[in-house]
Amino acid sequence: MAKPVIMPKLGMTMETGTIIRWFKEEGEPVKAGEVLFEVMTDKINIEVESYETGILLKRYYEAEAVVPVNHVIAYIGEAGEQVPERPPEDAPSGEAGETKTASLSEGRPAEEPPAEGTPAEEGDSGGGKVRATPAARRLARERGVPLEQIRGSGERGRIHLADVEAYLEEHAVRATPLARKAAEAEGIDLRTVTGSGVHGKIMKQDVEAARAPAAPSAADEKMVKLEGMRKIIARRMSESAFTAPHVTLSTEADMTRVIELRESLLPIVEQQTGYRLSYTEVIVKAAAMCLRRHPQMRVQLQGEYIRYVQDVHVGLAIALEQGLIVPVIRHADQKGLAELTRECKTLASLARENKLTPDQITGGTFTVSNLGMYAVDMFTPIINQPESAILGVGRIAEKAVGLGGQIVLRPMITLSLSFDHRVIDGAPAAAFLTDLKRMLENPYELLI
Amino acid sequence: MAKEIREIKAIIERLNLTPERLLALYRQMWVIRYFDEKVDECFAKGLIHGTTHLAVGQEATAAGACAVLEERDKITSTHRGHGHCIAKGADTGRMMAELFGRETGYCKGKGGSMHIADVEKGNLGANGIVGGGIPIAVGSALTSKMKGLGYVTISFFGDGATNEGAFHESLNMASIWKLPVVFFCENNQYGMSGSVKKMTNVEKLSIRAVAYGMPGVTIDGNDIFEVMDATDEAVKRARAGEGPTFIEAVTYRYKGHSKSDAKKYRTREEEMEWRNNFDPIDRFSRRLIELGCADNAKLEELRQSALEEIEAAVKFAEESPQPSFDTVLEDVYA
Amino acid sequence: MREITYLEAVREAMTQIMRENPDVYIMGEDIGVYGGAFGVTRGMVEEFGPERVRDTPISEAALAGAAVGSALTGMRPIVEIQFSDFITIAADQLVNQAAKIRYMYGGKGKVPMVVRTPGGSGTGAAAQHSQSLEAWMAHIPGLKVVQPSTAYDAKGLLRAAVEDDNPVIFYEHKLLYRTKGHVPEEPYTIPLGQADIKRPGKDVTVVATSIMVHKALEAAKILEQEGIDAEVVDPRTLVPLDEETIVNSVKKTGRLVVVHEAVKRGGFGGEIASLVAESEAFDYLDAPIQRLGGLPVPIPCNPELERRVVPQVEDIVAAVKKTIVKR
Repeated sequence: MAKPVIMPKLGMTMETGTIIRWFKEEGEPVKAGEVLFEVMTDKINIEVESYETGILLKRYYEAEAVVPVNHVIAYIGEAGEQVPERPPEDAPSGEAGETKTASLSEGRPAEEPPAEGTPAEEGDSGGGKVRATPAARRLARERGVPLEQIRGSGERGRIHLADVEAYLEEHAVRATPLARKAAEAEGIDLRTVTGSGVHGKIMKQDVEAARAPAAPSAADEKMVKLEGMRKIIARRMSESAFTAPHVTLSTEADMTRVIELRESLLPIVEQQTGYRLSYTEVIVKAAAMCLRRHPQMRVQLQGEYIRYVQDVHVGLAIALEQGLIVPVIRHADQKGLAELTRECKTLASLARENKLTPDQITGGTFTVSNLGMYAVDMFTPIINQPESAILGVGRIAEKAVGLGGQIVLRPMITLSLSFDHRVIDGAPAAAFLTDLKRMLENPYELLI
Repeated sequence: MAKEIREIKAIIERLNLTPERLLALYRQMWVIRYFDEKVDECFAKGLIHGTTHLAVGQEATAAGACAVLEERDKITSTHRGHGHCIAKGADTGRMMAELFGRETGYCKGKGGSMHIADVEKGNLGANGIVGGGIPIAVGSALTSKMKGLGYVTISFFGDGATNEGAFHESLNMASIWKLPVVFFCENNQYGMSGSVKKMTNVEKLSIRAVAYGMPGVTIDGNDIFEVMDATDEAVKRARAGEGPTFIEAVTYRYKGHSKSDAKKYRTREEEMEWRNNFDPIDRFSRRLIELGCADNAKLEELRQSALEEIEAAVKFAEESPQPSFDTVLEDVYA
Repeated sequence: MREITYLEAVREAMTQIMRENPDVYIMGEDIGVYGGAFGVTRGMVEEFGPERVRDTPISEAALAGAAVGSALTGMRPIVEIQFSDFITIAADQLVNQAAKIRYMYGGKGKVPMVVRTPGGSGTGAAAQHSQSLEAWMAHIPGLKVVQPSTAYDAKGLLRAAVEDDNPVIFYEHKLLYRTKGHVPEEPYTIPLGQADIKRPGKDVTVVATSIMVHKALEAAKILEQEGIDAEVVDPRTLVPLDEETIVNSVKKTGRLVVVHEAVKRGGFGGEIASLVAESEAFDYLDAPIQRLGGLPVPIPCNPELERRVVPQVEDIVAAVKKTIVKR
């Protein structure tokens, strides 16, 4: 009996996975434990091993296909065994599943055409009520085009072949309505534009970018395919940036007292954990405690609802060679600096070794992104969805500040708080930031 | 009208009829009769499908007319044509098999009673259309004349056919071109139910020949000698290039038109009159004895032989295979 | 290559085959010294004599029947029925005898005869002398039916018909007799059952017979001006029909217009439309099939009425346009 290969559930909240690539072709032998395919979830790519030994009899989905968790994506069995022509469907709809990260700027959920190799269901292409010629039906059937979406120009609204062809032509290029308008206005052929949106969808700015004259390309320019983590980051960043209206507030905090605190705690923490306490941990702790006090910062937009998150899990953005990852420190508000230090360092280390598990990178309430090791003061961090706020931390630099009518030099740090203005307003965000500044300037408060 | 014995002898001499030939003809008449009677019986038993038209009582016309033909001569026949078929040399087994719808039949089971033919032996076919074979006979005669082949075609038809347009067209055409055809009308008094007295307004059908400029003669169709004589004369005329002749042979069919005929259009008395007084086989047997060609025992032997032949034919038919459905599309086109 | 008329092409086909084969002869009314009602056989009795170019009485039944009997016994007669309307009188011999003899006799015997007859309207001959009844003959198993539209086709197809061992009904058209075409002088055969694409095209398939081929070609010229490229397919033989050519054409163009002069109801166009709808071409149809045929009336005598009751060039153009949808 052929055994099914299932889209694995790689995280608690995972509902669909996108197949990045297969490592075996149909007909190739597979051993249990061999890597069979690579899957992208919202956060990370995972290489999935086969549970079975046998021949890969059938692959129902190819790269780029989005498959709901628990759906059959392939079969492994003996050579010659019969397997179904089409994957057994669990979901009621015939479509292979939609991604949750809808691009709301165009007002319609992103539609995934069935991956190559999956014929559209008969029902999709026509039903009994649509008037369409046999030729039109045949083409629609072959290309998985739902006839209901096509406007027919024949008698009594009958869909003719040319109508289906026109639809396919229009939709061959995936672009937002804004982008299409822009392209039309600029006289740009959408086929020449590279899309930066979901699955390569052309966004308006892509059209605008295409307007700029192309730089003369040197003969030795490197071309690297956008894939893997880079691709995920690209997608997630753009989704976040274009979904959530970001407002960034910044303030400067006097880190004199924090510096003192750190100096005194450094040897103790090192002795306890083996790691060196850094400013990051202090900022994380302070931010966590402020979050505890500011429930309005702990919100997440979920569809039509605003979820008030109870727990304070703080994510820490870690820069990697290939990109960026955000492991989460759970219950950061309840952990002491020693524990935080240990955890932060451990997570950072795991991150650099690509050993983070999906659970370690999900469930955050708030993210802290520290560029203080660079000559960066203020910046506008992008919110780590589904969170609603992120704290960008700049360098500590000696700056001239006014104090009691005098100009003094103090070690100042710039804090940049980006928040999602859909669910958080300026005042509460400002209040939070004010609190955070005060806590850093009076770190004894961390004890309360 | 019964002839004198000397007239018979004159005919015998004229036509070179040996006693063997006469006895063979006698046997043949029984074969013809028994064939149709057996068909009647088989039909009643449900062994034959469709319908059939029996000529019991008309043996003399079939046997007599075909007796004077050469092998190269041809005939066209009617829906009541088993007798003509047998007289033209057909195998009764294959005929019976055809009626039984078997693949061993003359037409591979596809023709049936009304379409029995043996083209190679000169039987251009029985015909389901009244008068349908008459123009075909004309065509056959046309070939003979155009190619100088010297054969004669006899066109058999009934009294009813003489009212079909095709009959008149054919006689006219054969006459103008002097074609070697003999138009042989078996006037058995009835079309289907239409009595010839009601359906024509002439005393004798043979007068119609005059209309087309050919000789016409009415004869006693139940006297085999008279049939042979008249036919022979017509055949000789035709072969000599003198054109067609119309022969009206008066006869009678004992059975109804077809199986579903209750014979309400005639009386039992009339039937019995013909059976008892004018039966062709009966009359022939008396002549044969009179001529000294055979005794009763011999005649009985011949009759028995005929019966056995028919019984064997039925057995052959019954044991023959049905045609396969695969053959149904065959032979539509040559 | 020289040009001759359709009528001359028919005569030439008969003349050439009669010179080769002594078994071939023609029978019909007034075909001898009169030369035939339309002049097809003019000059032939002088060459072949009255036996082989044989005038008959006005007896279509006997004429057809004699041809059957003659063919059955070894000859290859060509029968001329003066007006195709008179085929009704000959019908028993053609339908019940000629068509069926071979089958009824279990494969014994064959009837290699040809019935040539002119059909069609346009000469003001009125109801009983203007019909197109080819659908009747096409309906009978055992017959073959041919309908050439050009002089070239007529000559080649008539030879094939005479050489065929089966009864063939050869429908000429009165108005086509005077049309001219390039016809090779030597004898040649066009096989029965082979359609001819008279004008290749890619936008719509127009299947037309006999005189409608010419009207379809004219319509194609008009449509070309409007950017519509019509493919005109002439079946040439109705039975056996070249289904493959028709189906492939419709697969290519996705649109079908069928046109014949015969009355639309029960006409052979219904057969063509249906077999296309039943074929794999169905999935390529991008518009409903259009059928054009005569109105269900006897042909009227008045010339304008006579013209209007059968399809004309403008009707074909309109039908083609109905299949094309502008976006």
